[in-house]
Amino acid sequence: MNDRNLLKGLFLMGIALAFGLGALKYPVGHLERAGPGFFPLLVSSILFLLGLGMVVRARFRERKPMEFHVKNLGIIIGSLVGFAVLSRYVNMSVGIAFLVFVSALAGTRYSWTRNLILTAALIGIAVLFERGLGLQLHLY
Amino acid sequence: MEIFHNLAFGFEHALTINNLMFCAVGCVVGTLVGLLPGLGPLATISLLLPLTFSIPTQGALIMLAGIYYGAQYGDSVSAITMKIPHASSIVACIDGYQMTLKGKTGLALFTAGVSSFIGGTVAILVLAALAPALGEVALKFGPADYTALMLFGFVCVSFVTTGSLLDGLAMCMVGVLIGQIGTDINSGMQRYTLGMPQLVDGVGLVSVALGCFGIAEVTKNLDNREERTPFSGKIKLMPTWPEFKRIIPSALRGSAVGSFLGILPGGGPVIAQFAAYAIDRKMSKYKDEIGHGAIEGVAGQAAADEAAARTSFIPLMSIGIPENAVMALMMGAFIIKGIQPGPNMIAQHPDLFWGLVASMWVGNCFLLILNVPMVRYLLSVFKIPYAVLFPSILFFCCVGTYSVNNSLEDIYITASFGVMGYMFLRLALDPAPLMLGFILGPMLEENFRRSLLLSRGSFTIFVTRPISGTLLALIAAFVIWQVWVFVRQGRNGKVAASPA
Repeated sequence: MNDRNLLKGLFLMGIALAFGLGALKYPVGHLERAGPGFFPLLVSSILFLLGLGMVVRARFRERKPMEFHVKNLGIIIGSLVGFAVLSRYVNMSVGIAFLVFVSALAGTRYSWTRNLILTAALIGIAVLFERGLGLQLHLY
Repeated sequence: MEIFHNLAFGFEHALTINNLMFCAVGCVVGTLVGLLPGLGPLATISLLLPLTFSIPTQGALIMLAGIYYGAQYGDSVSAITMKIPHASSIVACIDGYQMTLKGKTGLALFTAGVSSFIGGTVAILVLAALAPALGEVALKFGPADYTALMLFGFVCVSFVTTGSLLDGLAMCMVGVLIGQIGTDINSGMQRYTLGMPQLVDGVGLVSVALGCFGIAEVTKNLDNREERTPFSGKIKLMPTWPEFKRIIPSALRGSAVGSFLGILPGGGPVIAQFAAYAIDRKMSKYKDEIGHGAIEGVAGQAAADEAAARTSFIPLMSIGIPENAVMALMMGAFIIKGIQPGPNMIAQHPDLFWGLVASMWVGNCFLLILNVPMVRYLLSVFKIPYAVLFPSILFFCCVGTYSVNNSLEDIYITASFGVMGYMFLRLALDPAPLMLGFILGPMLEENFRRSLLLSRGSFTIFVTRPISGTLLALIAAFVIWQVWVFVRQGRNGKVAASPA
């Protein structure tokens, strides 16, 4: 089952289904006056067929296992979400610190001093952005 | 000599202090970020795009263009010195890296720099001569022609960038579907917004680009990290006269090939490099040396690379249809700045158009003057450990996303596209065509619906109009050819190796 070529097709068919079923909720209209649901339905049908084509093609191809590192993806996405949450409810400096210290877990050789220096440097860059480019970053 | 008059007009705009500065900053920052491992032109432009938001329109476009060809150049530098290609300078790895192994890094870099300059100069003349003329042709295009042209672009890009028509087309369609999120312009109905107010105006370009090319790439690079030893060799830049003489013919050939291939749909730097390299192997006086670190092997492809990078602006600015993913991103950036690229851009904003064209030549000079002698300092970015680099890239992704609407919620959207982009990369699906589909999606729908409205619901409009009919016939021929190739491979019992 863990075959990259097969999963590729299935994943795309899933996307096609999600959009295609969603399109059915909107008026499709008729060819002369297409409604808002017409085009997405058409495109997702094409995508579904292309996905099906990949599933068929996978039968003729050598299997290739799919690599997937949930841990790294989770760490990175978690650090981004944490950044957004902390920046909203505390301030962005805390958000930057969280981002650096958490995302670094995905790297090799975790170093507290390096992360501290990097956090300081990034806050410095953020200050430059705020002053120089006029971004409103709410750093404190 | 209308061209020269127009170019002079452009230089008046490009040579103001502010625009010179934006051009220089764009070139240098683009080169630096382009050098970083794992960041090709698409990722570089999306990371730096938010920086241009607070700059006046003309300066912003000039800076963006500078970032683009800076990134392209930076890419070839990392290919020559350390054999790190980011899809956009694979060819530079062959002879360029061979020259590095022979201790001729400086010569290779000098060759690449000078050839890029030659290629860029030729391409700008082509651009100045061709874009306005093509723009007049484009005014004759009807909605059916535009629809067919976009589909043709999808097919060409899919085949060229991913090597598999099926994969590439599927990614284009995913992009088109993502472009459907938001309010339907014809009926005012909200589609796929899931009740989230941020999605009413559609998904932001910056979120899609940073998610798919920034966050997804970073995460993937973390999975299989390789420690690379930074380049530490000596660099002797100046070539001898006989060496210099060998650069010119090859660079001129490359410029011609690159300028031509840059204009075609699906074309652009990558395919131009391969073509120029192949031609040099056939025609060069030193063809036997090519592949083992010959000057020609670097010069031709570098010239083609830069030439194609510039002429690929022609379809975008004259017809209004980007021909590859990078140009799609550029188009998105133009639209954010309130400029709709297309036949009317040249007429309505001649200062923007000619200023941009002239700035490309100015940028060319900057690349040559600033980057070639400074290359040894630029290379020090490789000494930054990845552990410092990737949290910084994530930080720039966050700030970039946030700065579009001053909305922290947009970061969640970017993060979701990061997850999706990572899935695609792990499934060996190149997200570049997605970008093209995403930008062209709304235009495709608009033109498709308008064609059907004109023809009262009959699909014959796409076949009977000469332009769209021809394009659709080409698409059909291409698809049949691909199916035939697949079936023949299956019959011979040969299993096609899927692209990694």
